[in-house]
Amino acid sequence: MSEETKVMVIPCSGIGKAFGSIGREASYIAVEELRPGQTDTVCLSLLVMGDEETRDRVRGHPCISVDGCPTGCARKNIELAGGKIARALRVIDTYRQHHELKPVQVTELDEAGQRLAGLLAEEIAKQVDAVIQEVQ
Amino acid sequence: MTAQLKRKVGIISCSGEEICEGTVSRVATRLVLEKLCADRTVTLCLPLFLAGGQDERSFAKNYPTVAVDGCGKLCAAKATATYSAEPAAQVVVTEVAKRFPDLKADTRRNLGEAGMELAYRVAEEIAARVDELLSREAEVPQDATPAQGTQAGACSCQGGGVPTKEILVAGAPVEVVGLQPILARFHAADAPETELKAQILKMAKIYNYVPPEQESAYAEALWREFVSYRADGDANG
Repeated sequence: MSEETKVMVIPCSGIGKAFGSIGREASYIAVEELRPGQTDTVCLSLLVMGDEETRDRVRGHPCISVDGCPTGCARKNIELAGGKIARALRVIDTYRQHHELKPVQVTELDEAGQRLAGLLAEEIAKQVDAVIQEVQ
Repeated sequence: MTAQLKRKVGIISCSGEEICEGTVSRVATRLVLEKLCADRTVTLCLPLFLAGGQDERSFAKNYPTVAVDGCGKLCAAKATATYSAEPAAQVVVTEVAKRFPDLKADTRRNLGEAGMELAYRVAEEIAARVDELLSREAEVPQDATPAQGTQAGACSCQGGGVPTKEILVAGAPVEVVGLQPILARFHAADAPETELKAQILKMAKIYNYVPPEQESAYAEALWREFVSYRADGDANG
């Protein structure tokens, strides 16, 4: 697959709640295990600070934002940087479908958090496939 | 009557997703929030500076802040300075790591044993900065406590309001955090004007960013507020 059709998966990495850690973990699973070679990620903080190389990478690829909460920091910052949001995913939406999984720990995810991350990673991978189909 | 102020320090982590050091910065910050300084620290997601509103952007004005960066690009420190106020202290993971060359993280997703040990070392460095900041003089009435009721490790955006008042500094309106309780602390003080001015400014600087070049303007503005406050208090008995 060409470099241009890679999908950028960018989590908010929110640090105050478990949902931020789940979004980060899900993104790593999707990028490193489920869709390696088809996806990549960037430091959101670099994007926030206007790093040119990071902006170019984001502007040159379709992006999937992965936000922990409805504030939507990843989505908003990608848009502010001129990136195109192909999909905006939220941990809270995965949680709403799986209320039995109540994550508590933030630093090292507990079992519920790990399972939510796995479910969200599968959704990210599914959306990556759909986005790649759309741009080809 | 005054109570000892329970002050808090804000911690801003870069959490860079691309590199191991970003994960180390994040884990170290959480260790400080949860274990090393649980009752003395709060945090804010760095991307909230841009995505959030005025409350988020006044974070570093409300709290003395430690910026924790993974690499020399210093995103957390620069973002804090750009969107809020200059951080009071900085910790950079790559700098700490130079002192512990054997502690290398496995991957950005799984730090491994050595990576976790490095995160602990970085956390200790952050905690030392927190202790330094809190060791500075502070005793103001309890109602000046920033974000009272904020739980350990929570984002500041989940915390309570901080009492602020707008005053004129060199003719420009400026919001000052905790002004009334600070003035109350000095209401009955018996000291020369120059000394009181300096003490009020010093106390205000704990909770507010005062640009070095505007210190004298702030001192004068705070003094005007103090004189007015003391006159009102005397008039009301």
